[in-house]
Amino acid sequence: MIEVDQLTKHYADLRRGHFAALDGISFRAEPGQIYGLLGPNGAGKTTALRILSTLLRPTSGTARVNGFDVVEQPSEVRHQLGFVSVNTAVYDRMTGWEMVEYFGRLYGIEPEPLRERMENLFDRLQMNELRDQLGGKMSTGMKQKVSIARAIVHDPPLVIFDEATAGLDVLVARALLQTVAELRDHGKCILFSTHIMREAEKLCDRVAIIHRGRILAEGTLEQLREQYGEPDLEELFFQLISRHEAAVHA
Amino acid sequence: MNFTNIKLILAREVRDQLRDRRTLFMIAVLPLLLYPLLGMSFFQISQFVRQRATSVLVVGAENLPKQPPLIENGRFAKGLFPGKNGEKLLELHFPSDEPGPDGKTPEQPAAARQAVQSGEYDAALYFPESFDEELETSRQALRQEQSEGKVDLPQPQIFYTTASEKSQIAFARLNEVLSQWREQVLQSQLKASGLSPSVAKPFSVQPADVADQTAYRGAALWAKLLPVLLLLWALTGAFYPAVDLCAGEKERGTLETLLSSPAERTEIVLGKLLTIMAFSMITAVLNLMAIGLTAWLVLARMENFALPPLLSVVWLGLALVPISALFSALCLALAAFARSTKEGQYYLVPVLLVTMPLAILPMAPGVELNLGNSLVPVTGLVLLLRSLLEGNYWLAAQYSPVVVAVTLAACLLAIRWAVDQFNSESVLFREGERLDMWLWLRHLRRDRQPTPTVAAAVFCGVLILVVRFFMGFAVQPTADFAGFARVTAMTQLVVIAMPALLMTLLFTSSPRRALRLHMPGILTIPAAMLLAVLLHPTVGALQGVVMELYPLSDEVREALQATQELFLAAPLWQVVLLIAVTPAICEELAFRGFILTGLQRMGNKWRAIIYSAIFFGLAHAILQQSLIASLVGVVIGFLAVQTGSLWPGVAYHLVHNSMPLLLVQLTPETLERWPVLGSLLVLKDGGYEFHRPVVILSALAAALLLGWFGTRRPRT
Repeated sequence: MIEVDQLTKHYADLRRGHFAALDGISFRAEPGQIYGLLGPNGAGKTTALRILSTLLRPTSGTARVNGFDVVEQPSEVRHQLGFVSVNTAVYDRMTGWEMVEYFGRLYGIEPEPLRERMENLFDRLQMNELRDQLGGKMSTGMKQKVSIARAIVHDPPLVIFDEATAGLDVLVARALLQTVAELRDHGKCILFSTHIMREAEKLCDRVAIIHRGRILAEGTLEQLREQYGEPDLEELFFQLISRHEAAVHA
Repeated sequence: MNFTNIKLILAREVRDQLRDRRTLFMIAVLPLLLYPLLGMSFFQISQFVRQRATSVLVVGAENLPKQPPLIENGRFAKGLFPGKNGEKLLELHFPSDEPGPDGKTPEQPAAARQAVQSGEYDAALYFPESFDEELETSRQALRQEQSEGKVDLPQPQIFYTTASEKSQIAFARLNEVLSQWREQVLQSQLKASGLSPSVAKPFSVQPADVADQTAYRGAALWAKLLPVLLLLWALTGAFYPAVDLCAGEKERGTLETLLSSPAERTEIVLGKLLTIMAFSMITAVLNLMAIGLTAWLVLARMENFALPPLLSVVWLGLALVPISALFSALCLALAAFARSTKEGQYYLVPVLLVTMPLAILPMAPGVELNLGNSLVPVTGLVLLLRSLLEGNYWLAAQYSPVVVAVTLAACLLAIRWAVDQFNSESVLFREGERLDMWLWLRHLRRDRQPTPTVAAAVFCGVLILVVRFFMGFAVQPTADFAGFARVTAMTQLVVIAMPALLMTLLFTSSPRRALRLHMPGILTIPAAMLLAVLLHPTVGALQGVVMELYPLSDEVREALQATQELFLAAPLWQVVLLIAVTPAICEELAFRGFILTGLQRMGNKWRAIIYSAIFFGLAHAILQQSLIASLVGVVIGFLAVQTGSLWPGVAYHLVHNSMPLLLVQLTPETLERWPVLGSLLVLKDGGYEFHRPVVILSALAAALLLGWFGTRRPRT
């Protein structure tokens, strides 16, 4: 379970001066749920997810993962989650097996149980042909599979996908979405950020639309459609953002 | 900290590096090929240079005497040149134009000079006309024992040019041949006058090398060469893996993967550090081995060279561990800062520029291991290593604790820096922003904060030091007080106060806070002045210790003496204004105002105080003054932080600088008139010295007063 409360993050920036990448966002995501963070590039999605995975420290506000505070108990938080993002690459000079094994060991899993779990995982994700292939020689889709295996090798209750389908071809992206849905069905809490509305519509149980570090709207897809009287999510998204832009510039 | 994680990270990084062809080439293949190749070419080139004949034009050969012969069959006579076939190294040429019927051509010396100048010959040898006749005359004179009258022989000349190396070699060879020949002439002269040849050589000097008993042959060379090579390779071996392990991971996007894993930042840093250290050490060892092999094969065939003994390998190995640790941590921190491998590689040259002088400085002749040197990181270690290689075990044992302590401290600081880098978001997630100078300056101005940033404080400190350095060359004080005053005042106002004031106005929004201009608690100012008085004997005693450890050079001592005399001759109020009041205001504004306030944003009070004190110390011209000034800087920095105000520091500084100016005015008569003073201090060769109990008691009182300052909290 994820509880985010009034989270802010400020940066010093040459062009914009002090600017808030996150300006007080709050949301909750439950186990067995895919929670979608929707927003254009630069909305603050990655910043929020980096704070949740303890890579960044918030300027103010709190975020808790399964009850562990990201600032006070970063190590416990990291044990609770798996993180897959466009920025989490695989090592070029490591095979698929070595890569997943390395992270499994870092999560503190003993060699024997780890081997068993990995055999299982490699079967499930159909990546046995990647066992002895070096990361540098893999295609983008293969790398993404290894990344997912790496992120869930310790069976975490929470998995974060940050723009995980970016740069993938249709087939691989579809397979990835399927894996995400399966993970949800196993009772995991999934945080899924994207700027592709179709993915959100297909996958997410609940979404938050983020723009300029703020949540503009939040709820299940049904609720949002009802609330704004717009059946098409993409249309809804566009309207919300243009309205907010107009308010900012006014 | 989880050691399993460190081990895991270490194992992964090592495997990763070993799978990288570039790394393997750099650490293993390059040295194995490089040194044998270098050794071979060095050997061949030196052979080539030695064997190459030089051409010499001999002018006036017809003026040479028949006995003893100098030239036979168009070459120098055998036996005049040392070594086998030595005479072949000088190719003799004779002017083709036949001398006139009388055997004289007056332009001969000019022709010889011209031949060398034009580069036609490497050197020219000229024998003046009637050289043989004059020589014979002098011989006759000797035979008739008329040697009181000085015989004026015409001088032969060698023409050569220092602009060409080959010409210099020809000159050296000619010189050698001619002195041999002169010796022969001398022998024949002596024989003619009936004297024993030993008259000219009453004794000869017998050299004896005792290196076999104290150290090994060639120790001097190896002892200088090996430590530098060790440092160079330890650094190179650390640098490339460091860049790949940090900047490379950032570039490839794997760093974020690693950071989101349960491994703590410290574990990641230590794992990476150990990897870099391993490669640094392997590189150094392989290179030294390759050098050893080359030396064994190539140099051993040359004269005056000997291989270092096996024991030196032990010393090199022992020293390698801390050297590698230090360089690895430095490289790691720098590489963590770099955004990409390309940017990382740019940092190699600055690193070399900073560390290499520290390593090469000890190679200067006459630099020996002493307390001063052993306090300098790297330099101390190199000198210690040199003493060990030279077999100076007692000297090495004496200073090894200091060197080890300094090296350990440097290592820990460097590791700490690396960990800090890995904990800094702005370093790890630095965006590849295009730097726009104008935009950046606007940002500095627009987004300025009440107090300076750490970077601004450091920049201000460096700016002051650099400008001061150049001022020292540009402006030479005149010998009178007015000139001295002008230079001192200008240094204080323009070099020290102005940068801080300008930066405050430009880049901070609250000059009052940036320069700590708030009024402090009313008691703190007299307390600071009292503290300066109480600490004065201690500072004097410390100064004595420093002068003992690092004596002033005679030149500096004389300059200080001259300044002292200027002070004594000038009106006291002017001296106090110049030496006490002006620096108390200017230096405090810069060092405890702008710089310390900025550095305090690092979050650690003591670190800020110590760094600002180091800047303050370095701004003093003489090293010995710098050491004392740094200590005083710590005290004043403490006052400034505790009271939150600049003014107690100004008061302290004022009293601190005035005390010696006032006390030096004391005469034996004043001491007689004021016996209280006499019970505190004695006058001693132009200065004064406090009694030891006075030093101790005043230091205790000062400590109490400092404790009181420690309980103060700055007003907010």
